[in-house]
Amino acid sequence: MPIVVNLDVMMAKRKMSSGELAEKIGISQANLSILKTGKAKAIRFSTMEAICRALECQPGNILEYRDLDEG
Amino acid sequence: MWNGEKSITLSKCCILFFMCVLLAVVVSAPWLINWFILFSQAGLEGTEFFFKATIYVGFIPAACLLYSLLLLLRRIEDGQVFITENVERLRRISWCCFFGAGIALVSVFYYYPWLFVMVAAAFMGLIVRVVKNVVAQAVALKDESEYTI
Repeated sequence: MPIVVNLDVMMAKRKMSSGELAEKIGISQANLSILKTGKAKAIRFSTMEAICRALECQPGNILEYRDLDEG
Repeated sequence: MWNGEKSITLSKCCILFFMCVLLAVVVSAPWLINWFILFSQAGLEGTEFFFKATIYVGFIPAACLLYSLLLLLRRIEDGQVFITENVERLRRISWCCFFGAGIALVSVFYYYPWLFVMVAAAFMGLIVRVVKNVVAQAVALKDESEYTI
């Protein structure tokens, strides 16, 4: 999928662990892992809002579009 | 009280019954065919070989179909309903029906009533194919909903 989730990068920048973030945004660690590994098919606005609030960032810092054909 | 579990058990019993009937038909085919030709009064003498061929070749898709149905029901019983394996199983069942319809179509040349069997099998195959398409869409929807965080 050309949408890349840069959650790891933001978490590292904010020095936040998976467990801490999962607790702050109110989702399970398993679901957070799905999101981090790029296996997720969609993300709810409410989840995105919670992530942005917890990591003090913008949606654009977490999601990125990469054209795979460009190589 | 009637529930889903009992319904599946009933379906499994029906499949096992049909498996027994199928086995009985195949084992007793020579006698059954002779009896049918004698009592049909349709001038079918000399077609014994063709009847046997139809029954023995038709046994293959029929047995595969019943076995696939049994496996499908087992998965449903385990709570695995909308999974890719079930879509594949339904696809196989549908092809078994079409294969059976093909055998019946070939058999029409010596006994016209096989045409009814052909139409019934093809129609059943078509219905199962549509159900397969529906289940495939349901699997995709379930997948999407499960991976929406």
